[in-house]
Amino acid sequence: MVGILQKRSIRDFDWLLALLAVAIVCFGTWQIRNAQPTEAYWQKQLIGLGIAMIAMLTIAFTDYRKLVHFAPAFYIFGLLLLIIVLIPGVGLRINGQQAWIRMPIIGQFQPSEFVKIPTVLMLARYFGRPRSSALTLKEMIVGGGILALPVGLILLEPDAGQAITYFPILAVVLFLSAIRIRLVIAIFILGVLFVPAAYTIGIKTGKIKGYQQERINVILDPEKANPRGVGYHTLQSIVTVGKGGLTGSRAPREFSQSSLKFLPEPHTDFIFAVTAENTGFLGCVLLLVAYAVLLSRLITGARRAPDRTGMLVIMAIVGGFGFQLFINVGMALGMLPVIGVPLPLMSAGLSSVLATFIAIGFAISVQLRRFVN
Amino acid sequence: MKFEDDTQNLRVRLRVIQLLIVVMLTVLGVRLYMLQVVKGSYYANRAENQRIRMLPIAATRGAILDRTGKKVLVDSRSIYNVIVSREDIKGDFVSLLQPLSVGLDVDPEYLLTRLKEIESQPAFESIRVKENATYSDIAWVEAHALEFPQLRVEQQPQRRYPENGMLAHVLGYVGEISPDQLEQPKFKTKGYRPGDVIGVEGIEAVYDDVLRGHDGYRKVVVDSRGHIQEEIEKVEPQAGQDLVTTIDLELQETAETQLRESPSKRGVIIAMDPNNGEILALASAPTFDPNLFSQRISSKEGRAEYAALLQDPNTPLYNRAIQGRYPPGSTWKIPMAVAGLQQGAISIEHSNILCGGGITIGNKFTRCMGNHGTPELRYAITHSCDGYFYRLGLKMKLEGIMAMVDEFEMNKRTGIDLPHELISWTPSREFKARFNPRDPEWREIDTVYASFGQVYDFVTPLALLRTISSVGVGGRLYVPHLMKEVRAISAVGDPDKPDHPARPANGFGRLQPKIIPIPEDQHHFVVEGMWGVVNNGGTAGRIKMAGFDIAGKTGTAQVVELGKDTGSNKDHAWFVSFAPAYKPEIAVLALIENVGFGGTYAAPAVRAMYDVYYRKTRPESAPPALLAKK
Repeated sequence: MVGILQKRSIRDFDWLLALLAVAIVCFGTWQIRNAQPTEAYWQKQLIGLGIAMIAMLTIAFTDYRKLVHFAPAFYIFGLLLLIIVLIPGVGLRINGQQAWIRMPIIGQFQPSEFVKIPTVLMLARYFGRPRSSALTLKEMIVGGGILALPVGLILLEPDAGQAITYFPILAVVLFLSAIRIRLVIAIFILGVLFVPAAYTIGIKTGKIKGYQQERINVILDPEKANPRGVGYHTLQSIVTVGKGGLTGSRAPREFSQSSLKFLPEPHTDFIFAVTAENTGFLGCVLLLVAYAVLLSRLITGARRAPDRTGMLVIMAIVGGFGFQLFINVGMALGMLPVIGVPLPLMSAGLSSVLATFIAIGFAISVQLRRFVN
Repeated sequence: MKFEDDTQNLRVRLRVIQLLIVVMLTVLGVRLYMLQVVKGSYYANRAENQRIRMLPIAATRGAILDRTGKKVLVDSRSIYNVIVSREDIKGDFVSLLQPLSVGLDVDPEYLLTRLKEIESQPAFESIRVKENATYSDIAWVEAHALEFPQLRVEQQPQRRYPENGMLAHVLGYVGEISPDQLEQPKFKTKGYRPGDVIGVEGIEAVYDDVLRGHDGYRKVVVDSRGHIQEEIEKVEPQAGQDLVTTIDLELQETAETQLRESPSKRGVIIAMDPNNGEILALASAPTFDPNLFSQRISSKEGRAEYAALLQDPNTPLYNRAIQGRYPPGSTWKIPMAVAGLQQGAISIEHSNILCGGGITIGNKFTRCMGNHGTPELRYAITHSCDGYFYRLGLKMKLEGIMAMVDEFEMNKRTGIDLPHELISWTPSREFKARFNPRDPEWREIDTVYASFGQVYDFVTPLALLRTISSVGVGGRLYVPHLMKEVRAISAVGDPDKPDHPARPANGFGRLQPKIIPIPEDQHHFVVEGMWGVVNNGGTAGRIKMAGFDIAGKTGTAQVVELGKDTGSNKDHAWFVSFAPAYKPEIAVLALIENVGFGGTYAAPAVRAMYDVYYRKTRPESAPPALLAKK
């Protein structure tokens, strides 16, 4: 029986998805090396990849339903981690954010990256029951509550960038849980009206501070922004991207935007700009196509999922992944304000790679169980 | 779909999400296309510009030397400035204020204004917080390198001129190129940049092309904080060429001293070699300190000093030798005498003309200083007989005087290698019409005035010396000049393809004299009269020098009315000469403003020059006069 399962598992295993993810990480490692040739980040990234692959396989061959069953336990454990990181002396403070825990052997890790998974499982568990009617207010409040706890704790770090990436998870889950379309449309219209209005009122009342306003202005017109001020990062990222041209910059690597420190955080937040500088338009489009294939593969998996829970797990992952991708690349291209969000699978960082691979492991696990029922 | 749930349109909703992702990725792709393909080269340029810097290496300006080529008149030395690099300061300059003002001994208020300039200047500019830093300042900066990494010491060449304003009018000075000059084509085509130092006056200006070097540069890659990562290219600077002048320092010092010690302390002394036009000394008093312009002009005190110079009634910035026009007085009689003989108005055999103690034209009597009977030319020169020359002028007529002016080129610039030379005013009908519009007609009395160097004659001292010198050497009219030689400088860089090609040595280009046809006997006749001025009881008999025959002519230029002593408006005293009389080696002119009679005030100053010259050229123990007696 085990043998048959194994054989079938190997046959049904989504090799394309897994290999695509590994390939993107390898491509990312190359770019990390380009960004920081003198540092060991790229080697650490490869070690991270190894650990992440083991984690992915372990999750993939475990029945996700069992894991979803234990979701509350994971969720509570995750919340504990988010509380522990806030304890002075335990949590590591970097750039004013207390978001890391130092561990022996593994080094430091970032709980807010991992807690996304129990949150996804928790939401999938709650919304995964078969339904025959539209979403109720009560359900929405419970869903909001599940999200609010980790997000609130993350905002205490404070890490607004990570906190934002939690919202699309809930949004996707609600959207696929029969929320009334007119409600969606109403929220959309309100958003369109409210955001500019809030911005204008914010400026008038002084609630939005000068530097925040400048962060927005630099998106609207990066050339006019003070290149030494807040607009510096955005402008330098645009220059770095543009410099890549069609096929990548030919200048020696010692003179790259990251080596000369014009581009900040080149191996993490601005890894896409580094990629653009080195591989040009062709490399970037290739990368975006890889992401597109990966995401459609996940959506296909969701469509074939054996139950609502499985579908929601995958789609919540798609929501979080896609949103983070858009925020990060949009920031590198100067379309969105600078928010410290890593590019999934590309940015250096064990936590991010491991969390993403665990998520993919869940997606594969769901797919593997599509015929088993 | 394994679980059907028709109430939710789940399929459609999944499609919506998929569509959203496709739209999002397309938006990113389009933006990428815009940045990388459409504007790719623009951003590549931008990236290049922010990492490549050209750091100029200033070339040393050539030195200016005396005629021996050994003594330095002007050179450049390095001074050091303490600068604050803007990139490391990040707006927090208030914390720098206190330690800097104490450590470098700078006025805190001055420092604050300098540091505030940072906000208004481009990012790569640095701010000078202390100019002309001392060694202890530099040591302080080095000792505090860790504490204040934004402080640096920069080297800057600075021009150094002689003290006391010696030779100021000859050497001129340098200054920073002005924005107006940068717009002018003659500077634009030569690639001058803002902040470049150029010659503004004097030799510095005329020979700017020769004296200025070619700056080198370092092409470097810098990081975002401006720290140099690598040098891509280095081109060494090529120093400017050294210029050897014709100036004899001892004669120059004597001339300056004579003027300084003269009663009015205003005037001109010029010494020239009549055989080639080389200027041995040229002093104009009062003078000024050119170091003001090269060193202090940017400071508040410097600007006040400059304003005071501009307003000084004694016009110290003025080079009187080429910018002052003075009536030549009796010195005018020398070219008159030469031209009278040349034109046949008189001859060696028949040169006697009535003095008459003066002349009456119409109802106006113009007197002579004495009554000399009917003297011959030599006597008239020696004793400066005005009556003689009134009548000689009438014989020559205005046309004759004008022909003389043309012959000696007194209506032109002398062509000396100094800027802003003025042209003398000489008699002509047009000049009178402009000078006296109420009576524009040229009359006989005007010819009388024009013939003794008043009213219609205003010459620059240099033009007069040039004329008299040409008489001394028998009619060779040289272009006075200060440049003896420009020294060669070798190429810089790869010999096959030098960054700066070699610049050859060069001499003064206009050495050919204009020849004025003066027959030898006529020349001799006039010089005899001039010899008599000093050596035969003439108007400058007091400066007679044993063993050294000076030939000269005194002059007293009327300022208000000849001979009328009216305090500060006294007459100008002239003495113009050459020596030895029959084989001139040196010609000397002195003009002392507003002191009175030429023989009394100008001639002794000239004598002092000859004393120095004699000591330099003749063995002191054995003057030639004594040798001749043996």
